[in-house]
Amino acid sequence: MTTAAPQLIQATLAQLNKVIHGKEPQVQLALTCLLANGHLLLEDLPGMGKTTLAHALAQVCGLEYKRVQFTSDLLPADLLGASVFEQQAGRFHFHPGPVFSQVFLADELNRATPKAQSALLEAMEERQVSVDGVTHPLPAPFFVIATQNPQSQSGTFPLPESQLDRFLMRLSLGYPEPAAERALLKGRNGRVLLANMQPTLNGNRLKALQSIVPQVRMTDTLLDYVQRLIAYTRRSDVCHLGLSPRGALALVKAAQAWALLQTRGHVLPEDVQAVFIAVAGHRLIGRQEAQGDQLARHILSKVDVVGSGNGNA
Amino acid sequence: MTKHITYTGMIWLLAAQVVVILPFLFDLPIWLLPVLLFAAGWRLRVLSGAALQPGNITKTLLVGLGVGGLLLSGLKFPSLDAMATLLLLGFAFKSLEVVQRRDAIVVIFIGYFLVALHFLYSQSLGAALYGMVSMVILTGALVGVQQAISEFSAGQNVRFNLRLAVFMLLQCLPLMIVIFVFAPRFAPLWSLPLATTQAKTGIADRMAPGDIEKLAKSGDLAFRVAFKGKRPAQHDLYWQGLVLNHFNGHEWRQFARDYDVYQLKTALLSHYRWNPKSVQVQGTAVPYEAIYESSGQPWLFTLAPTVEVEGAVLRGADYRVMAQQELQAPFLLKAVSYPDAQRDSVLPEYLRTLALGLPPTGDARSRTLAQQLWRETGNPQAYIDKVLARFSEQAFAYTLNPPTLGERDTIDAFLFDSQRGFCAHYAGSFVFLMRAAGIPARVVVGYQGGEWNDAGQYLAVHQYDAHAWAEVWLAGRGWVRIDPTTAVAPSRTEQGLEAAVQAEGTFLADAVFSPRKIAWLNGISQQLDTVQYGWRRWVVGYDRAEQAALLKNMLGTFSIERVALLVAGLFAAIGLFWLLVLGLTQRPPKEALEHRLYRRFCEALAKHGVQRDVGVAPSTFAAHAAQQLPALAGVIREFTQVYEGICYAPTADGQNATRRLKALLAKVK
Repeated sequence: MTTAAPQLIQATLAQLNKVIHGKEPQVQLALTCLLANGHLLLEDLPGMGKTTLAHALAQVCGLEYKRVQFTSDLLPADLLGASVFEQQAGRFHFHPGPVFSQVFLADELNRATPKAQSALLEAMEERQVSVDGVTHPLPAPFFVIATQNPQSQSGTFPLPESQLDRFLMRLSLGYPEPAAERALLKGRNGRVLLANMQPTLNGNRLKALQSIVPQVRMTDTLLDYVQRLIAYTRRSDVCHLGLSPRGALALVKAAQAWALLQTRGHVLPEDVQAVFIAVAGHRLIGRQEAQGDQLARHILSKVDVVGSGNGNA
Repeated sequence: MTKHITYTGMIWLLAAQVVVILPFLFDLPIWLLPVLLFAAGWRLRVLSGAALQPGNITKTLLVGLGVGGLLLSGLKFPSLDAMATLLLLGFAFKSLEVVQRRDAIVVIFIGYFLVALHFLYSQSLGAALYGMVSMVILTGALVGVQQAISEFSAGQNVRFNLRLAVFMLLQCLPLMIVIFVFAPRFAPLWSLPLATTQAKTGIADRMAPGDIEKLAKSGDLAFRVAFKGKRPAQHDLYWQGLVLNHFNGHEWRQFARDYDVYQLKTALLSHYRWNPKSVQVQGTAVPYEAIYESSGQPWLFTLAPTVEVEGAVLRGADYRVMAQQELQAPFLLKAVSYPDAQRDSVLPEYLRTLALGLPPTGDARSRTLAQQLWRETGNPQAYIDKVLARFSEQAFAYTLNPPTLGERDTIDAFLFDSQRGFCAHYAGSFVFLMRAAGIPARVVVGYQGGEWNDAGQYLAVHQYDAHAWAEVWLAGRGWVRIDPTTAVAPSRTEQGLEAAVQAEGTFLADAVFSPRKIAWLNGISQQLDTVQYGWRRWVVGYDRAEQAALLKNMLGTFSIERVALLVAGLFAAIGLFWLLVLGLTQRPPKEALEHRLYRRFCEALAKHGVQRDVGVAPSTFAAHAAQQLPALAGVIREFTQVYEGICYAPTADGQNATRRLKALLAKVK
């Protein structure tokens, strides 16, 4: 299995790139997020291919896929499921909601009320659902891909920091490259290709890959760099809110998964840098104008990659 | 971290061991050095992979050989020399076993001990300076054996370690001074059979014709004297060592029986002890302090008669001052003499007997001459003048190379046949003639004159100043010093031996390169001697009495509490000072070697015009730099690869990788 891991990953990436044109970095990051067993937040304008990406990921991984369009009148029970009284049996029977799936696409998460949002977010963190005092474990792997529109759009309930923190990564797809867009216009529609897509993974294979991620080697020198980055977010005056320990953990886990994706057995600073914006962007709150991804990029440029200090001298 | 010593560390250790062992080779078997070189050489070959670590049997055999050599080397057991040699042998062999760092540390600590041990053999300024150099090198080795890998070249490594060692030792210096000045100085709790091989030098306790001129051929220092008041005239500087009372027809000795030091001590404490009432103090006082070189003999040399003396010394009825035991180390004496004082206005019967004794037979011609002269003159003063006049009027000659006189009738042979002699001949025959005429007389041996060092304001007395003269007891005047040599060679007491034998050209004839023969060298040697004197006087001579005087001076009244308070205060001040220095100069901890090398790599590339921004990861930068500098692309890629390997995917062979980094860095520059 371990020896086959690189080929598996390459095949998976190839499949994904066939469906989503010209977005290799985002596709890689999305797969990284999956390998790191974290949830993904896609933030972009409508019609940029968020749903296609989520769908493709589920398909290529051979995972069961469910999608819920979040609206302002969505209730928690619509997501989690409800206990219904069965007259023949004479007892309540739990009917699982759409969240009981391997890949759950929460479309336009920020359109739902905080009540519905938090119901999902609890499921994400605990990987289980409690209804009427009974705990129901969610399937494994369980992977939430949430999409949201930019906050400036009307009719949205922005996610609080504590809940944003639960997403391992936040990605934006952005407008396609002209060539990719041309291909799209010529009719090579992703959604059509999606149907013909061959799954390269299945639940067990994915779990096996996920179990390799923590084995990717991180030396003290690398952790020094990670700690310097974290220390910078906490100490410098550009950030209002630094990275939490959960954020730091997310960073190294994502870096390990990224290194695995590059078929490397150890983590390089490049790996940390590659995932840093996606991992830290939605967790940082800047003091000045620079926010989110821009702020993360600024931090990367300021912290020395080389050296042995951990930034706490 | 590996606990094994590296090749460089081993070379450091070997160098330190050689430095420590070298000064012992003057006093101890010289084959210790080859043993050390052999052992260390073997170990170095093991380290370079050319030989195997010796097994237990080999080691046992080697130790057996070494101990055998020790037994065959003729050292007395038990003695300091034998014990020191045994320790040095172990020290030399230990280098064969030095595998781990702790072994090296054992060797280095023994090295420190050996540096201290060498002071039992020599306490000269040179030995002290050499000891300091040894300490620096030992400490450098201590640094060296701790280093796993070095970014330095060999030269830089030596400089770095030595600089660190010097800095560390400089920090100890204030503590050392405080301890030296204030630590209580106890008498040793036990005594070792010390320095058994040390030769006895200087004046001996007997005098046969020819003895003193042998001594006079040596340019070694005997002692130095600093006068507190006015310096007496050169011709009055008669440094009395010991008095020879007994003549056996050939040799002058102290007493009829031969006394060893302990018997002599007993005599000086009983029947031959000094009687303070026997001297009538008059004239000016001459206070002075003298530092005697270690001679292996107990004699001290003072201006007779010495009235006051500081320190634990013995004093005799003949006004001598003598140390309690043989001098194995420089000895400081403070004394006040009154050269004009009258000694023994009443001569005790015991001393009179001693001062008149002659062998029953022998030297018949001299006895006849004495009777004849006494008949001619009739009173002691006239008789003395007559005898001295005979020396100056007849063809007597003063020479460093007198003819040998045989075993018997030596006085006759000198007075009537050869008439060529050194001070011993004149003093001996003069006293013989006095005694033959019934005048109490005795031979005094010691030194006469000395060389004034104007820069150091002291008088240096050398072995060639050794001299013998006479004392005659005259009623109403007590003991009177008479130097018959002046009758023959007046310049001897005025200008010293060099002038007295100038015509003969025999002064220090054997010492071809003596600095005294070359004027400008003589100046330098005087300067050097001044420094040596200061060292002897103020450092080696700093004893319990000096310490007590200093403490009294500093503290007013002397009490343990005050001393303790002062020492504690000084320690606290030193500690505070270093704390302050550390606080002011502390720098952030240094980065690991590979990072420093990488930064140098970046600096080198910056000189080529490719700058790395801090946030750029190594391989990203390498790709960019390789594109900008195609000529260096290979080196840049390899360097980055090795560097990333060390940092992010280290293997067991980190040392080689670091070495490779250094080599690659050199190519970028």
